[in-house]
Amino acid sequence: MDILNNLFLGFSAILELDNLLFCFIGVFVGTLIGVLPGIGPVGAMSLLLPATYKVSSLSAVIMLAGIYYGAQYGGSTTSILVNIPGEASSVVTCLDGYQMARQGRAGPALGIAAFGSFIAGTIGLVGLMLVAPPLASIALQFGPPEYFSLMCLGLTLLIYLASGSVIRAIMMAAFGVIIGCIGQDPETGSSRYVFGIPELLDGIGLAPFVMGLFGISEVLFNLEQDLQGRSVLKTEIEGLLPTWKDWKKSMMPILRGSILGFFLGVLPGGGAVLSSFASYAIEKKVSRHPEDFGKGAIEGVAGPESANNAATDGAFVPLFTLCIPSNVVMALLLGALMIHGVTPGPLFISKNPQIFWGIIASMYLGNVLLLVLNLPLIGIWVQILRVPYKILFPLILLFCLIGAYSVNSSTSDVILMLVFGLLGYLMRKYKFEGAPMVLAFVLGPMLESSLRQSLLMSDGSFLIFLTRPITAAGIIATIIMILSSIIPTFRRKRKTIPMEETL
Amino acid sequence: MRTDRGMQRNYRLASIFWLIIGIFVAISAYRLGLSRYGQPGPGLIFFLASFVLIISSVVDLGGIFFRKSQQGSREFIWAGTRWPRALLVLGALFAYVFLLNILGFILSTFVLMAFLFAVVEPRSWWTTILISLITIMAAYGIFKFWLQVPFPEGLLGF
Repeated sequence: MDILNNLFLGFSAILELDNLLFCFIGVFVGTLIGVLPGIGPVGAMSLLLPATYKVSSLSAVIMLAGIYYGAQYGGSTTSILVNIPGEASSVVTCLDGYQMARQGRAGPALGIAAFGSFIAGTIGLVGLMLVAPPLASIALQFGPPEYFSLMCLGLTLLIYLASGSVIRAIMMAAFGVIIGCIGQDPETGSSRYVFGIPELLDGIGLAPFVMGLFGISEVLFNLEQDLQGRSVLKTEIEGLLPTWKDWKKSMMPILRGSILGFFLGVLPGGGAVLSSFASYAIEKKVSRHPEDFGKGAIEGVAGPESANNAATDGAFVPLFTLCIPSNVVMALLLGALMIHGVTPGPLFISKNPQIFWGIIASMYLGNVLLLVLNLPLIGIWVQILRVPYKILFPLILLFCLIGAYSVNSSTSDVILMLVFGLLGYLMRKYKFEGAPMVLAFVLGPMLESSLRQSLLMSDGSFLIFLTRPITAAGIIATIIMILSSIIPTFRRKRKTIPMEETL
Repeated sequence: MRTDRGMQRNYRLASIFWLIIGIFVAISAYRLGLSRYGQPGPGLIFFLASFVLIISSVVDLGGIFFRKSQQGSREFIWAGTRWPRALLVLGALFAYVFLLNILGFILSTFVLMAFLFAVVEPRSWWTTILISLITIMAAYGIFKFWLQVPFPEGLLGF
């Protein structure tokens, strides 16, 4: 009954005109951002962050959260229709979604993506309501070693799911940690790998890093290909409602994706990208016809699309209970809350029930709005997509340039973005994956902080990671996963997952 | 066979590149300090990460020598692509950043847009100028007036 009462409190808070408007703006901009490749929710949220300074904390977070989960919805549209993931979390949707579109089944693919996302979003919200309050009380007992092992586990999960060479995924993760920790040492104040560039003292910003690695490099890679082949499929999009047969095939992937996505979303650094990859791998493994994957299997759309939406909800759990932003989007939300004097943490829910439950209620409302936006208005999104690539790519580049510039009103961020664009382009050419690097980049500073605090607690002994039960379980699971990745039998199996070409 | 050898060389170069990065970071991290007064130092995380990078680079390099057959059917990385066009665009973007503070947002962005619209598919000058103008007016309206992004004005004051 407490949950229902609290939910009522949340709904009464958001059913004000201002909050409704901000919710709509959030999901609309999110869908648009998700549709447009080359600009992600990070850039959009960064741009709109100053606009939230003058509104209430609840309105600010409602809009920013709307951009985040709206982008997950919109990202699926570009994946299916142009084989370009609007968001990194929609990368795997390309594999089967685009094949379905080529076979004239773009409608059901878009439909199942939207319905799956809606169902998963709702399941994720139920999970958030149930998990966050009890976890907040448990989190009071977590120490740095537990945080360290959880982050190691999240990082290893991504490496384990790497589609190409596991060794190369490890290399990228290691490099991601290195560049993630560049800047002033938070404890001693010494400069680390800044090479005399003052802008690097605060570290490399995630927005220019990700925009370069995924946005700029994508454009550069496309430019060297035949641009005529990148146009939107000119098939008629009709029959958005999936058939009974489609539902039958998709129901279990949606449920599995929702649960998996929610729990992976909870992991720091896990989030929507990891969950969509994991869901695809699992669906392929449990399928009776794994050979259909990559050739237009609807399960390959339903599972990952559900997982990335549920992960969006899951990602709120560590933010609200532990004050750990599990990704940069959550970090921006954390920033928006703190600007308004609200600090998440174990006591956040009990001290700010109207904000916590208001956000939850807004996500229910947002999910309904997204369904309305995505299905009937699919034609509008398609029109945006039908802009030829030769016109689109300068616009994408312009969005990236302005987006990177606007974060700090500084050209140094733009230069960084271009450098990472070149790196990402070369990585694509030489078959190195960007995803492990990004995850390690986000986790790097937190990994370092928890490692150092742990070693301080143990007077420099690494045994602390094996003597505490939760920590030991995380570390042992990490080691098992790394070992099983290196065993050749497992590697051969993973090579059949056709993700390599898309990263 | 020639492309296979080219592929091998390219992959080897990539692994050697990461190996050199790893060694550089490890040496610098050691100099930063792995521990200070019995406490973890500022270079510890870099040293651990670079250690992983070095080991995995060496394993990858070894793998390239021993797994030649797996890569035999692939094509040479740069062959059959229009990579100069990609690098030309990247060069233009770098030039844009350096011109941004001198010429200001409007003028430098106009030049960049005109170049980008013309580089892939040459059009008439009038069409290129028209599309570039429309783009920049829309971008300026949205980002400057609506989202209040403070663009650099440059020497000309706009």
